[in-house]
Amino acid sequence: MSAPAPAPEEKRLHPASLIVRWLKIVPQMLAGGIGLAATSNHEGIRRFILFAMFAALAGALFALVSWWRFLYTIGPGEIAIEKGVFRRQRRVIPFDRVQDVAIERGLIARLFGTARVRVETGGAGKDEGELDMVALGEAHALRDRVRHGAPADGGAAARAPAEETVLFALDGPRLLLSGLFGFSLVFLAAIGALVQQLDQFGIVDWDQWFTAERAEAASNLVTLQTSLALALLIVLAGLAAGLVRTVLRDFGFRLTRTGAGGMAGSSRGLRRRRGLFTLSEVVIPLGRTQAALIESGPVARAFGWYRLSFQTLGADRKEGGVQVAAPFARMAEILPILAEAGFPAPPPPAAFRGGPRRALVHWAAPWLALALAAAAGAWLIDLRAAIAAAAFVLLGLAAMLHWRVHRHAQDAEALYVSHGLLKRRLAVMPYEKTQILAVSRGPLQRGLALATIIVDTAGAQPMRGIRIIDLDAKEADEGADRLHGAFLAARAARKAGAAYG
Amino acid sequence: MQSDGMQDEPSAMAPLDPAHATVLRMRTGLIFLVLALAAAIADLGPLRLTPIPAGLALGLVLLAGVAATLIFPGRRYRAWGYREGGDEIEIKRGRLIRVRTIVAYGRVQHIDVAQGPIQRAFGLGTLILHTAGTHGASVPLPGLAYGDAERMRDRIRARIRQDLV
Repeated sequence: MSAPAPAPEEKRLHPASLIVRWLKIVPQMLAGGIGLAATSNHEGIRRFILFAMFAALAGALFALVSWWRFLYTIGPGEIAIEKGVFRRQRRVIPFDRVQDVAIERGLIARLFGTARVRVETGGAGKDEGELDMVALGEAHALRDRVRHGAPADGGAAARAPAEETVLFALDGPRLLLSGLFGFSLVFLAAIGALVQQLDQFGIVDWDQWFTAERAEAASNLVTLQTSLALALLIVLAGLAAGLVRTVLRDFGFRLTRTGAGGMAGSSRGLRRRRGLFTLSEVVIPLGRTQAALIESGPVARAFGWYRLSFQTLGADRKEGGVQVAAPFARMAEILPILAEAGFPAPPPPAAFRGGPRRALVHWAAPWLALALAAAAGAWLIDLRAAIAAAAFVLLGLAAMLHWRVHRHAQDAEALYVSHGLLKRRLAVMPYEKTQILAVSRGPLQRGLALATIIVDTAGAQPMRGIRIIDLDAKEADEGADRLHGAFLAARAARKAGAAYG
Repeated sequence: MQSDGMQDEPSAMAPLDPAHATVLRMRTGLIFLVLALAAAIADLGPLRLTPIPAGLALGLVLLAGVAATLIFPGRRYRAWGYREGGDEIEIKRGRLIRVRTIVAYGRVQHIDVAQGPIQRAFGLGTLILHTAGTHGASVPLPGLAYGDAERMRDRIRARIRQDLV
């Protein structure tokens, strides 16, 4: 214990977490036992029931022990978590290293008035600090304490979320509409996985199912009508899947402004609450946002719908390392949120510039080379390679179209880069957020006197970094130097501001 | 601001310690020695069963090794360069893909000075700058005299401290 004054007490998780833990463990154990049942005689089923009883008991015991051995302490400036049944592990997370505190409430948690708290530090580890589960009041108190560095004894810090200004809300017809745009075919993958699982546990033997006669009978069923019906069915199922997924995730979406008005900049944030069954609540700390992303797919863009998210350090990997601030919004609604977060508004399209036209060679040449190779293959080896050649030509044309929409702009505060042929994303990066600048030239780029500027930011996902591809080489060099100069100036300005403020 | 860092002619960037070319040469040579050993074993064993003349594989590997050791390390050495500025360090590298990197001292989280076994024999070291970025967040600068690398680390550390004030 490092605390000097009143010794902070060691606490255990809410007892309801026993049930959650138990519900998590037992199915895992049972999955192993399914194979026993699959032998499908009476002996097998009896064995399975015995095994299930054993699993239920062992699971309860295990849940109890791990609950007993899990202790957490909220000290004056840090949270300590001590866990492990045999191998004890003690982790101390100082509050000023915490990027984000996320509160999530599944169905069971809501039943018991508890919540799961996740403390993110922006480190590489996955579960950095997780309290699954504590009482809801405790969760809120912990969050306020982390964010304000002081106990939340009824001060302005612990204001009820309901009183905060709503910046963006998603419900009613618009939620359903956004669900339709969430068209998704992931369920096909899910079905595939299920089929494989069934086979693996020996419940269904697909090799027995697909006999030659059956395949023959099936192929007779493949007509234009059945194919069209199947395609329609898949599209409908895709729409339904997107709708269900979106409603489950974004039901009651609220983005509010949080943090007392007069407080230091670091404690201001955007609070996001959402979810139908599992309620989640995160605060996007404004001082720690690295870049803003405005994205939209081809169909949504045609109707003027966009998604705004912020790249932060502690963001959930499942969401691509960004925090969604407005999943389905008009540009006119996005701009005030950007302003609230201290980001400048993107300049008009006329202010965006592309690279020199000769860059088209670099974008298309690799595909056209492949097309040539495939064409040669079609001529010399097999005519069917012509299909591949045609596909490569199309990809080359797509790359050329992509070049047209890869544009960038700069103003006094930030760099803006737009990228993506179908799904387009506009990245807004204030100069101050630069980590490393690089100018890169490959062999083909050297021949064409082109270069790419790479801007590395904290928390960026691999392959999704900010880059201005194929500028004129000299311009790229000067551009990188200018970006660096803008970074130094922005940093100096903020330091001067901090000294007086 | 330097804007001529990408030009092919010698720019304002400082070259690495000439001994680094020798280090690169020895690394390439070592790789080919291992390959030559493998070729020699193949020559005595499996290749005996084929009509391939004895010693051909070994000869080819040795030839390629000598050529590669003579040509590439020198070019790779010349591709490197660095400039230690007041607020940033600039590093250029790469022969095939040429990259010029600008790292502001204000962004450096921590600094390492590393030394491999061959480097130790020549008294060289590698300075590694770590930032909070994700894409190539660690920028290495090899081929500095070890004492220079340490002094450079201390200078950059002093500047980071200034930056924090």
